[in-house]
Formats: sequence, structure tokens, C-alpha cells
Amino acid sequence: MSARPETLLTRLMPRPIWVGLVAAALLAVLAPQANSYLLFVANQLCIYVILAVGLNLLVGYTGQLAFAHAALFGIGAYGTALLKVHFGLPFIVTLPAGALLATVVGLAISLPALRLTGLYLTLATLAFAQFTLWVFLHWEGVTFGAGGFRVPRPDWLLPGLSPDVGSFALALLLAIVMTLAAASLVRSNTGRAMIAVRDGEVAAEALGIDLLRTKATAFGLSAFYAGTAGGLQALMLGYVAPESFDLFHMALMKAMIVVGGMGSIVGSVIGAGAVLFLLEGLRAFKGAQEIAFGLLLMGAVIFFPRGVAGWLQALPGWAERYLRTAPPPAPEPDAVPEEAKP
Amino acid sequence: MLSYLLLSGISTGAIYALVALGIVLVYKATGTINFAHGDQLMIAGFLAWTLHVGLGLPYLVAMAGAVAGGFVLGALAERIGFRAVLRGNLVNVVLATLGLAFVLKGVARLTWGGISDYLAFPPLVPPDPIIIGDIILLPQQLVVTAGALAVMGAFALFFRFTTMGKAMQATADNPKAARLVGIRVENIHMLAFAVGSAVAGAGAALMAPVTLLYPDIGFMLFIKGFAAAVLGGLTSLPGALLGGLAIGVVEALAGGYIDSSAIEVSAFVAIMATLILRPRGLLGGPPPRRA
Repeated sequence: MSARPETLLTRLMPRPIWVGLVAAALLAVLAPQANSYLLFVANQLCIYVILAVGLNLLVGYTGQLAFAHAALFGIGAYGTALLKVHFGLPFIVTLPAGALLATVVGLAISLPALRLTGLYLTLATLAFAQFTLWVFLHWEGVTFGAGGFRVPRPDWLLPGLSPDVGSFALALLLAIVMTLAAASLVRSNTGRAMIAVRDGEVAAEALGIDLLRTKATAFGLSAFYAGTAGGLQALMLGYVAPESFDLFHMALMKAMIVVGGMGSIVGSVIGAGAVLFLLEGLRAFKGAQEIAFGLLLMGAVIFFPRGVAGWLQALPGWAERYLRTAPPPAPEPDAVPEEAKP
Repeated sequence: MLSYLLLSGISTGAIYALVALGIVLVYKATGTINFAHGDQLMIAGFLAWTLHVGLGLPYLVAMAGAVAGGFVLGALAERIGFRAVLRGNLVNVVLATLGLAFVLKGVARLTWGGISDYLAFPPLVPPDPIIIGDIILLPQQLVVTAGALAVMGAFALFFRFTTMGKAMQATADNPKAARLVGIRVENIHMLAFAVGSAVAGAGAALMAPVTLLYPDIGFMLFIKGFAAAVLGGLTSLPGALLGGLAIGVVEALAGGYIDSSAIEVSAFVAIMATLILRPRGLLGGPPPRRA
């Protein structure tokens, strides 16, 4: 964006990171004062931000169209909650353990990812997601089946901190740290390698980028984000059920990154907020929810393929230094010259 | 036991093969996958239900309605899910059609019933089994299998002998050359979506008396059909038939010999194994050139 002339306006325009941190600080101060519903929404927002940022690393930056994110989210939630329920371990152990479990599974499914590209990868991850859901539903001795199960809420170290405020504070802290980490990751060597893989695997390989390692890193990181978000979800609700990790939630996560902007960290945060807002507004109507999200996903892909991040980028002075959307594809040369067309 | 499982697997597999046929057709013509394919099938099935059960029209009229409904929905999917993002990448086509799938599912839920509502479709033939020696045949399964094979036969004839079918083959083979000989490639894209979805509509009308109708059946069938298409090789129409039958039989055997809950998961395990061991599928060639 250095091509733009420096004006007073562009100099006064805040950087994305400051806007984000101020918003997070406001949320930290205001949410605990508000009623329990708003606190829940704020907590859910932090979890969705982690999910969307993680998914964007894989889909938006690395270009791997995987459908396993809802399942990995579920593995994080089940891992965290089941270790607590079956072994009585404290959350300070089970939350990282759940996230690590999701990471290991994410890395494992990335092993065939070097051989599978495009639609084949999509199908493999879709099958994996359905398989995971089936395990949640049918391995009743461990996962308690279709009805789900309750998880005891933790006691926080600080006295006077209610479980709701405590889990919110943890989710907010992790959301901030993980978003900043992702924003700095995409500017690092690893992040640039991911973008190169997305924009052209052959070219990336010719540059000396290890495709397998880059894809596996993206899968693992994305799974770690999803697993952490899953653990926080279990912590927040005190309840885990398989229906929270089905294909509808997969579509929700896709809608977040498409609406916010593929290949944009700021976009992931905004998209998570937009989807949560719509979801809560339509909570009472299941059919209408599906229609609304379907339309949102379709409309965003067709009319605003660069998402909200694309609009923000057009503002004078707003330069998301981490924004790396794919260049618009060059129109293919037509076999028939324009004047020869009927 | 084995013969019964094989026969019921073949009749389920015939439906999967019909779904896979549409997926392969779209893939050959456009190089993308229509994620709303299963939900178009589901809507066509509900249309057949409304015509047959709701309005009391004969079954064949309802089936024709489902085919016509499928055709229109397929054309619509091409317009909004594919043409609008044609120059975009595969990710965008998948996401746009995924959005369409959820819209269709929501519409079905609001129109024909909620999460746990199932609509029953009256059987076409008396349910008494036919017993030949040790082999038990359910007439309904025979009708479904025969119907599915008839639809596939009609489709093969269409593809081989009509001008439209030949134009579709030419486009799948080489879009640029097809354009040079005067084929409107855009129209062929739409036709591929529409015909694929019409075949799925026929499948929905055939399947409805056996399974039951509910809004979530669409995406489930889509995944099975997608799996069948990949198992057979994403570019091969005979492969779609083979893959569909294979998945149907694997499911039936898993249900009979392992556990009834293994039915739904066996297809996913089979497809993960295929993708790891032989990603091109049984009869697949190299991927088609993009239009």
C-alpha cells in the first residue's frame, strides 16, 4: 500500500491491530457487567474468533479446502471434557490435552494431503468429519452417545470469579494471543510458504518450499486452533453433545471466513462476529437459520469474494499488513475472437 | 443371508450410482463438484411426494415431476453456484453450491417438515417377499434396481446418440475445440448440471418408497454419491455405476456381519481407504481440462 499518497487522513487512520485491541479491551470491561446472556455471546464470540482464524490459516492462506474443522473442534471439546469426566483431571491439564489431541489428529489426516489435492482432499476430510461424528454418536461407553453429557465447571484460582466470567476471561485472553500469533505467522517464512502453496504448488515447489511440511504445518496449526476452541466451548457450556459439530457448523465456519475475507486475519475476526450475530438473531428458527446462512455463503462468494476485508482495504490508510488475498484470476484467452461471436 | 445382503446392497447401490452419475457428469463438463446435488435430489423427492401422496396423481406422473423439478433445480444451481463464479477458483464453486445446499435444506424443512419428521411414501408393489430356493427377493428392491438400471440405460443412449449428448462429450473432452466447432460451452455446462440433477430426481422418486423422506437425506446421499464417484474414478461414467454398487454392497455387508450402526460409517471408511491407496479410483483417468 506504499503506492498511496500519505495524507493527514491516512496518518490518523488507526492500524487494524489497535482497533482490535481496543475492541477486546472494551469487551473485557463491559461483558462481565452485562447480563449472563450477553456474557455468553461475548464468550462465544471469542471461541468463534479462534475457530475462524484457525480455519483461515488452512483454507484462506494455504488454499486447502478441508471440511474437517467442525470435527476437530469436536475432538477438542470431547477430549477436554472426557478427560475431566473419566479421569477427574483439572481443566488446566485437559484443555491443552484436548487441543493437542486435535492437533495430532489434524496432523494425521494431513499425511495423505500431499497426495490428495482439491476435490479429493475435500472428500477425504468430509468422510473423516462424518466418521468422527459417528464415533461421537456410537462409542457410547466413552462419549455417552447422542444425548451428550455434562462436564463439571472448574473452580477458578481467583476467589470471587464466577465460572462464566472465568471462562470468558480465559477465552478472551486466548483469542487475543492466538489472533496476534496468527497475524505474525502469516508474515513469517512459514506464512509466506503457505501463501505460495496456495497460489501455485508447482511454483512453490520450484522455489524450494517443502509442500508436505508446509501443508502439514497448516493442518496442524489449524487443528490446534480448532481444538483449543473446542475445549473452551466445553468449558463455557459445561455440556458437550455431538450435534454441535455437524455439517451445519462446518458451513457456519466456512461462512465466517468467506464473509470476513479469505486470507485475512482481520476478516476472520469480523466474519466470526457477523456469523454469531446472525446465528443468535435466528436462534428460534432452525429452517430459517439454514436458509440465512446458505444465502450468506452464496451471496458472499458471488458478490463479495474478498469479503469485508476487501472493503476495509479500500479505506484510505487502512492497511492490513497481513492481508494476502489471492489475486483475481486472469481471464482466460477466449478461443473465439470477440468480433467473431454471434 | 449373504445373497439377501448382496441383493439389498445392490439395490441401495443402484441409487448411489444414480447420484454419482450426476456428480461425474458435472465434473466431466466443468471440473467442479455441485455440493447442492444431494439437496436437489431431496427436493425432487419431496416434489414427487407432494404430487403422488398430496395430490393423488399416479406414480409415473410424480416421477416425471421429480425429474422435471430436478432439471430446473440443476439449471438454477449452475446459474447461481457456478456461472457467477466461473472464473473464480474451485473453492468458490464449492462454497457457493454448499450455500445453495443449505438454502434448499432450509426450504424443505420449512415446507415439508422439521428435524425429526419423516414422510412415508406408499410402496409401489405388494411387500410380500418372493422366495426362490434360498434366495429371498423383495419386490420393492427389484423395482428400484430395475428402475435405476433403466434410467442409466436411457442416460447412456442420450449421451451416445443425441446431438446434445455428443456436444456434452465433446465439451468434456476439450472445451476449446468444442467452442471452435460451434458448441455453446456455457449451455453445455448448464445442461450438465440440469441433466445430472434430473437423473438424481429420478433416483429420488425410485428411492422414496424404500427409505423415507426427510430434509437431511440429501446431503447424506450426496456424500455417498460423491464417495461412489471417486471410488469409480471421478471421470468415468461406468465407474460411477461400479462405485455406487460397491459402496451399497460394502454397507449391506457391514450392516449384516458387523453391526447395524456400521452401515453409515462403512462408506466413509471405504472412501478414506480408497483415497489413500488409489486416489484415482477404479476406472479413473486424468482429471479433465478446465473450461
